[in-house]
Amino acid sequence: MNIGVFVCHCGSNIAGTVDTEAVAKAALEYREVVFATDAMYACSEPGQAGIVEAIGTYALDGVVVASCTPRMHEATFRRTLERAGLNRYMFEMANIREHVSWVGKDKAANTRKAAELVHMAVEKLRRNERLQAGEFDIAKRVMVIGGGVAGIQAALDCADGGLEVVLVEREPSIGGKMSKLDKTFPTVDCSSCILGPKMVDVAQHPNITLYALSEVDSVDGFVGNFNVTVRRKAAYVDWDACTGCGECAAKCPSKKTPDRFNEFIGLTTAINIPFPQAIPKKASINANACIKLTKGKCGACAKVCPTGAIRFDQKDELVTEKVGAIIAATGYDLFDFTKYGEYGGGRYPDVITAMQYERLLSASGPTEGHIRRPSDGAEPRDIVFIQCVGSRDKSIGRPYCTGFCCMYTAKQTILTKDHMPDSQSYVFYMDIRSPGKNYDEFTRRAMEEYGAKYIRGRVSAIQPKNGRYLVKGADTLLGRQVEIEADLVVLAVGAEAARGAGELAEKLRISYDPYGFFLEGHPKLKPVETNTAGVYLAGSCQGPKDIPSSVAQGGAAAAKALSLLSKDKLASDPQVSGVKLARCIGCGKCESVCPFGAIEMIEFRGMPKASIIETVCQGCGVCTAACPQGAAQLRHFTDNQILAEVNALCL
Amino acid sequence: MASSLDELKTAIRKALPGLDVVIAWTAGPDALSHAPLFITEEADVARIEWDPRCSQNLAGYLPGLRGKKAGIVAKGCDVRSIVELLQEKLIDREDVVIFGLDCQGAVDARSARAALGSSRGVRDVAIDGASVCFSVNGEPRFFSPGEVLQSKCFGCAGADAGLCDHFAGERGLPPQFGNPPESTLERLEAMDMEERLRFWETQMSRCIRCYACRSACPLCVCQDHCAAQSREPHWVDQTDHPREKLMFQAIHALHTAGRCTECGECERACPMGLPVMTLKRALNRRIKDVFDYQAGIDPNQTPPLFEFREVETNIKEREW
Ligand SMILES: Cc1cc2nc3c(=O)[nH]c(=O)nc-3n(C[C@H](O)[C@H](O)[C@H](O)COP(=O)(O)OP(=O)(O)OC[C@H]3O[C@@H](n4cnc5c(N)ncnc54)[C@H](O)[C@@H]3O)c2cc1C
Ligand code: SF4
Ligand code: SF4
Ligand code: SF4
Repeated sequence: MNIGVFVCHCGSNIAGTVDTEAVAKAALEYREVVFATDAMYACSEPGQAGIVEAIGTYALDGVVVASCTPRMHEATFRRTLERAGLNRYMFEMANIREHVSWVGKDKAANTRKAAELVHMAVEKLRRNERLQAGEFDIAKRVMVIGGGVAGIQAALDCADGGLEVVLVEREPSIGGKMSKLDKTFPTVDCSSCILGPKMVDVAQHPNITLYALSEVDSVDGFVGNFNVTVRRKAAYVDWDACTGCGECAAKCPSKKTPDRFNEFIGLTTAINIPFPQAIPKKASINANACIKLTKGKCGACAKVCPTGAIRFDQKDELVTEKVGAIIAATGYDLFDFTKYGEYGGGRYPDVITAMQYERLLSASGPTEGHIRRPSDGAEPRDIVFIQCVGSRDKSIGRPYCTGFCCMYTAKQTILTKDHMPDSQSYVFYMDIRSPGKNYDEFTRRAMEEYGAKYIRGRVSAIQPKNGRYLVKGADTLLGRQVEIEADLVVLAVGAEAARGAGELAEKLRISYDPYGFFLEGHPKLKPVETNTAGVYLAGSCQGPKDIPSSVAQGGAAAAKALSLLSKDKLASDPQVSGVKLARCIGCGKCESVCPFGAIEMIEFRGMPKASIIETVCQGCGVCTAACPQGAAQLRHFTDNQILAEVNALCL
Repeated sequence: MASSLDELKTAIRKALPGLDVVIAWTAGPDALSHAPLFITEEADVARIEWDPRCSQNLAGYLPGLRGKKAGIVAKGCDVRSIVELLQEKLIDREDVVIFGLDCQGAVDARSARAALGSSRGVRDVAIDGASVCFSVNGEPRFFSPGEVLQSKCFGCAGADAGLCDHFAGERGLPPQFGNPPESTLERLEAMDMEERLRFWETQMSRCIRCYACRSACPLCVCQDHCAAQSREPHWVDQTDHPREKLMFQAIHALHTAGRCTECGECERACPMGLPVMTLKRALNRRIKDVFDYQAGIDPNQTPPLFEFREVETNIKEREW
């Protein structure tokens, strides 16, 4: 075998702390290395041309590139080899950047380590085989999990692009947080007016199947062929029969049910349609509040329903959908401010969250758009807004900035003035963060045109006083204490990962950060991909985002899914397990450990033997560790290849 | 023990017509350890021996007798090997008849020989509470259990009488000894890494690569197809170096991790007296910590390394 070694400088990234020339020289001593050189940027066009040329000149059968992590450029160099007529698996990469130059400053030690890593790569390459990829069919369907604005955008774009879409939303209606908002910054246009038509499009699109009140139960399979089992939770209403007329809700005697959609300000009925624009516009029963389901008597709704759609005996139903790609768009949830004692810990009725305030502002909200105090229904005059509640606070494990609270608080002060010209808004803030297009102008308008008084500082206590609230805080710009008497206090609660985000990530096998937000494939270059092929991210599930960014990412995720599924077949990875029949003793240990059920026991000349189903095998290697015989071997990572690397290092 | 032996013989006589073979112990060439006896006709039953010299674990013969109806005489510790074989579906429960016995401890022939000076003239061995009595040419010689018994007897939890089809003697009484002798594992744990490596280098340089340890192991399912001799994969090479010998021991230990019941056959078989079970004990200890699992206890349990769970019960990676 003729091996060529290319040691990359990566500018000064590697060459700064590794003597790349010495590494190339050392490589010439390794077995079967016939050519070794260093290169400024191996991945650049001239760098790759140099590799292609050397392959021709020295009749190389295999190439080692010592440079960055294979995650970065393995695919690049494999293509280079193919261009020069070599099999793409006759390539090894030694990571001398992340594993060497970036982690150590001692040049002599670094150079030694880099040479050793190259030696390992050479010894492995000497045992590489020319592997060929197979092909497999893919399902041209996409599942979108979460029907907020990001998920809606992704679903519509995929459906318009010709893919079948399954949209799974756990609430009874799609729309997410945006459907609860009154108006949106920075243009102050009505949220339902811009979101509503998109929701209707989802309902009407021939390519979209919507499962509301549903959650993902389990995910099997892999890119191109995921099998997702969805749990359709019991609505106690046959949605095929329900016309959304609302007769049932009008007659339901259980009228004191806390209203989830209205953020628990106001009450609703046990059977209800969450809001007038709900999609699907179907009634569902809250089982905890329903008199029939809790006490066995009532059934008023069943009596009035003109289509006889009520089903008190309905059960959860599991449906399995085969899809080629999955887009996670599960959004965020809001921080529970009762953790903070200084804001009353939830004991004061007129200390509310900004989302509750949105419901008070909304014409379809519990007060029909009149701002009223929850305690006594009186119209407030002095309103204090407190920003960064549950954001940028290490002490409660929320060190990050939610990013959109500065903007929505400014919006809410503007809307407050519009609703009640005699009112006065006060905003306690830490910094104003408004870097979007027309955003800074917007916050200025709130202060300058709408007269909101901005106070830079934190609030230390809220105390009830004669039916009002004394808000005590500091003005750090003026360096003095301030006390404001308020009728209503609105907390700009920050965003946290959606409830259950971690469990979903485990099912999807995607990574998530310590706060539960899903991790993108690369923070700069793969912002909508994940490290699991075929799973993409859209919207706030990846980190708090405002509507424009959520919509943009929804579209981007759709583009990724469309481009993946534009092919009819995907190339299968040949780096899978294989069983040598002659060595296999049929003990079945591999079969019992394989996490993917990729091994079946067969009979061969009357003996039990293991056999790998190559399209199902994920190449995890668990079976190769379990097999006492070494009969199960992972292609491209055989025991002999790994031992050769170990020996290169240790002997 | 005499009465248990009579009970045992009666039970075997009764069961023999329905069985192809019964494995028991009989007096062998070494006066300190009894040899296996394969009984196929009633006349053999009279030759059965039962005393503390029945140290060998006979369970290792069972996988080779698969397809036949086999009876086996088993001490409490031997039953654990049988359980493990059942768990791994290497034997079929309906083809095996287990004759359990009330064991009070088993002799470690190597240390007993050292203590006695020679094994010549030993006629009988009996355990009486705190001492072990060897009658040598008619003279009783007494030793403490720590001097002459197998170390596993000190941690013995008693026979699992539940699994036995027959039981001779009093059921499920474990031997009661204080003060187990210090184990090699404990000595190793007191050493630093360098010292441990030196310890193994010294020990392994004595290994003659006879693979008796492997052949004696009741759980070495591969036997003649052992990875130690394979070239594809080429895990161990022929260099006569402690490194390669220790590599084989590491492979053996890893292959038996969470399966090994610490029956001690590997060490009993080793002609060089190398402490090769220590590695297995060390791994078993980790398995116990991580999976709260001990090999060979419940035939219906799956050994932890033979199944894949996304979330392990005892490994709290995520809390919610
Ligand atoms: C008070 C307030 C005011 C705001 N005002 C504005 C504004 O004026 N302008 C602006 O640009 N932004 C505003 N925002 C931000 C805006 O809410 C978000 O940008 C937007 O909602 C993000 O959309 P999304 O689709 O990513 O997430 P979400 O809206 O949170 O949608 C996620 C959806 O996924 C569903 N879901 C979650 N988990 C699962 C699961 N496991 N399975 C199935 N479904 C699941 C949820 O039920 C939800 O329907 C405001 C935020 C707040 C708190
Ligand atoms: S490598 Fe082995 S254990 Fe892993 S998926 Fe493939 S067959 Fe299953
Ligand atoms: S573990 Fe190895 S020997 Fe056992 S069945 Fe699987 S491939 Fe065959
Ligand atoms: S029995 Fe002893 S000498 Fe023989 S291979 Fe095993 S450890 Fe080495």
